[in-house]
Amino acid sequence: MEQVQEKQRKEEFDASEIEYVSYGGEHHLPLIMNLVDQELSEPYSIFTYRYFVYLWPQLSFMAFHKGKCVGTVVCKMGDHRDSKFRGYIAMLVVIKPYRGRGIATELVTRSIQVMMESGCEEVTLEAEVTNEGALALYGRLGFIRAKRLFRYYLNGVDAFRLKLLFPQPEMADRDDTQNHDDHSPREEYSELHRHL
Amino acid sequence: MDWKSTEQASMERHAPNHSSSSSIPATENTVWADASPLLDTVCKELRDGELIHGDNFNLYAAMSALEIMDPKMDSGIINKYASVDEAIEDGLAPVPISIDKTVDVQCIIDIIDHLLACEATWHKGHSLAQTVFSCAYLVRPERTLSHALLDSYCKVIRATCKAVTTIVSDARTHEEEDLFTMSYGLPLNVEGDEKCLSLLNAVEENISRQLRACKAPLSKRKPLEDIEPLQTNFDLEEGYCKALLCRLRFRKHFCHVLSCMRRPQGRGLELARKHIASCISELGSILNSAEFLMFNAYGTCEDGTEDRTTASGRQAIGFDANLNSRISAPTPPRSIKILSWKKAIKYFENLLHHLDIICSYPLDPSLDALLRFVAQFQKAQPDLVARVHLQLLLVQDGKLYGRYPVLAVIIRAARLTEVIMRHDILKNEYFVQLGQIVINMLKILCTNAAWQRRKLGKILQDWRAIYSQLELAFRKESGEGSSISNGENASAGILKHILIWVEEQTYWIAHRFLVLGFELELYSPSEYCMVYWYLSVVLIRLAEKKHLKMTVSDGSGRHTSTSRLFCFQG
Repeated sequence: MEQVQEKQRKEEFDASEIEYVSYGGEHHLPLIMNLVDQELSEPYSIFTYRYFVYLWPQLSFMAFHKGKCVGTVVCKMGDHRDSKFRGYIAMLVVIKPYRGRGIATELVTRSIQVMMESGCEEVTLEAEVTNEGALALYGRLGFIRAKRLFRYYLNGVDAFRLKLLFPQPEMADRDDTQNHDDHSPREEYSELHRHL
Repeated sequence: MDWKSTEQASMERHAPNHSSSSSIPATENTVWADASPLLDTVCKELRDGELIHGDNFNLYAAMSALEIMDPKMDSGIINKYASVDEAIEDGLAPVPISIDKTVDVQCIIDIIDHLLACEATWHKGHSLAQTVFSCAYLVRPERTLSHALLDSYCKVIRATCKAVTTIVSDARTHEEEDLFTMSYGLPLNVEGDEKCLSLLNAVEENISRQLRACKAPLSKRKPLEDIEPLQTNFDLEEGYCKALLCRLRFRKHFCHVLSCMRRPQGRGLELARKHIASCISELGSILNSAEFLMFNAYGTCEDGTEDRTTASGRQAIGFDANLNSRISAPTPPRSIKILSWKKAIKYFENLLHHLDIICSYPLDPSLDALLRFVAQFQKAQPDLVARVHLQLLLVQDGKLYGRYPVLAVIIRAARLTEVIMRHDILKNEYFVQLGQIVINMLKILCTNAAWQRRKLGKILQDWRAIYSQLELAFRKESGEGSSISNGENASAGILKHILIWVEEQTYWIAHRFLVLGFELELYSPSEYCMVYWYLSVVLIRLAEKKHLKMTVSDGSGRHTSTSRLFCFQG
C-alpha cells in the first residue's frame, strides 16, 4: 500500500498542540477516508477501510490539530507464512501543511507499540523506491529493506518491502552461546548462515 | 432479518417466466433472480457499518468489491465509446484516412510511429490491450483490406505481437509478466496475418519503385512506366518514400530477428545478427526522417515536442486508450502514459543491442563461462524481451542451448572427464534432480534482479538438500571397502568431485545473492559491515572449493598457482 511524504507550505503549530487519538468508531471512519482519498492515488473502496479499522481498531490512529484531522495511520496484524505473527502498515498519511514535523513518525510509533505489545514478531510495509521521505522515516525507526519488488506499482515503479524485526527472546540465548560480535544475522541470511 | 427467506420469496415471485423484469434468460448454469425487493428492505434496515454477506464472504473478500458506477472501478461505465464498433462508426479510424494521398501518407506514418511508441510501452510492462491494441485499425482487420500499406503493416504488427507474446509465455519463468501476455479478446490469431511479410515485401517493392521513379532525371523517365506516385506533392515524394521505406524495412528485419533467434540450438543466431544490424541501421534512418516529417506537418504541431509519440509531432489518428477497457481487465485499467517516440526508438535500440550480445555469445559448454556471461549481461539491466530470449537460448529441451545434456555440463564443470558419462551411477535419481536444479538456476539467472535475488535465496535450500543426498550416497559408496586413492572406487570418486562442485556452486549462488543486494539498493550503509562479513566468508569458501576441485582432478595434489584462485566472477 502507499505512504506519502513531501515538503510544501507549512502550517505553524507547536508539537504539543497535536492530539493523537486511537480509532474510536464509525464517526472516525469518514475522517480517515477523506484524508486517504485526498492524498493517495489508489482508489480504496469503503470495504477496504472497514476491513482494517473494524478488525484492528487498536492499530489505527489519527492526529488532530485544533479539531481537524491532519494525519492517520491504518494497520493490521495476523499470522503470516511460517506462522510468524506479523504487523502490516497499510496506509500512512499526513496532509501537506503538517509534514516534516514528526507527526507521521509519532503515528507509526504508536501503532508499532501496540503491535509489539500484542506479540508481533515483525512489522512490514511496502514503499515506492522513489519515496525518500517514507524510506527515511522508516529507516530511522529501524526498518530494513528486505526485498525489492519489481514494478510493484501500476505506474511501473519498484517498491521496497520494509521490515522491522522485533528482538525475540531466543535470539538473546543464541548470543550467549556463540562467540559473536554485536551483529545478529538478518532473517534473510539465517538460511545462509546455517550452511556456512 | 432473514436474508434467505426474502431471497426465496423474490425468486418465487419471478419464477421461470421472466417477462418484464429480467431480459437475461436462464441457462444451464445460471438462474437470475431479481434482488430489488431485498435491496429495498435492506436499505431501510441496515445501519452504518453493517454488512449482509454469505458465509464465505467476509470483509477481506469485500475489499475486492467493485462499486458500481464508480468510474475508477466499474469497467461498464461508458468512456467515450461503448464498443470498438461504435468508435469506428463515429469515424475514429477512417479507411482511407484521407482522399488526399499526401495527407493519407502523412497520417499512416504517424500511425506507424505511434504504434512503435505503444509497442515499446507494452514491452516496458503495460498491457497489450491498452497499448498496441488501442489502435482501432488493428482491432478490425477486415476494414484495412482495401489499403495495401495500412493492411500489411497492421498484419505485421499483429504477427510480431503474437510472436513476442508466445516467446514470453514459453519462458514461463514466473507470474510477474502476467500482464504482458494477457491478450484475452485481442485479435492475435487473425487469418492471413502469417502472410504479412510477403505482403509487406510487395508494398516495399512498390514504394522502392516510386522512389526510383521520382529520383530519375526527367529525360530518363520512361513515360510508359505506369508508376503511380506515393502521394501528390512531387517535391515531397522522395522524402515520404524514404520515410516509409525505413519504417517498413525495420519491421521486416525485426520479424526476422525474432524468427531467427527462435531457431533451435542457436542455429539462427548468426543470421539474426545480420538482421539486428539492419534494424539498427533502419532505426537510424527513421530518426533522421523526423526533420523532414516535422517540417511538413499537416495542421499544427503539439508544443510538447519531447513527449510526442510521432516523428511529425502530430497526434496519430485511430487510437483510443479505452478501446479495450471492457475486455482487458475486470477493473478499469489505470490510464498509462505512452512512451515518447524518441524514447521508444531508444528502447528498441537498447533491445536490439542486448539481443545482439546474446546472439554473439559463442555457446560455450563451460558453465563457469556461461555464468560469468549471464552476470555480466544482467548488469546492463536488460528488459523482459531480451532476458526471455536469453533464457530460451540457454535452456531448451532440458539441454544447454539445446545441445549439451545438463549432466554433461555438470560433469565438465566438476572437472571430470566425459568418459564418466557412461557410468551407471549417473542414472541415479539424485543426478536427475541435480540436473533439474541446475536448469532451474539458469532460468532464475535470466530474470529481473529483484525477482532473481528472492529466488536465489530460496533455491539455496534445494542445493543444500541435493548435497546431503549426494553425501549420503558418497558415504555409502566409499564405505564398501575399496579405498579411493587407488582409483578402484570410481563411483565414490565421481561423487566426491560432484560434491565439491555442488558446494562451489552453492557458494557462487550465495555470493550472487549478496552482491545483488547492492544493485537493488537493499543495504543501508550501517549494514555494509555485516554484508561484507558474509561476502568475505562466502568468497573464501568459494575459493577453497575451486582450489579443491582443481587439486582433486589433478590427482597428484599439485598446487595450482594462486592467481587462478581469485579469478571468479563478480
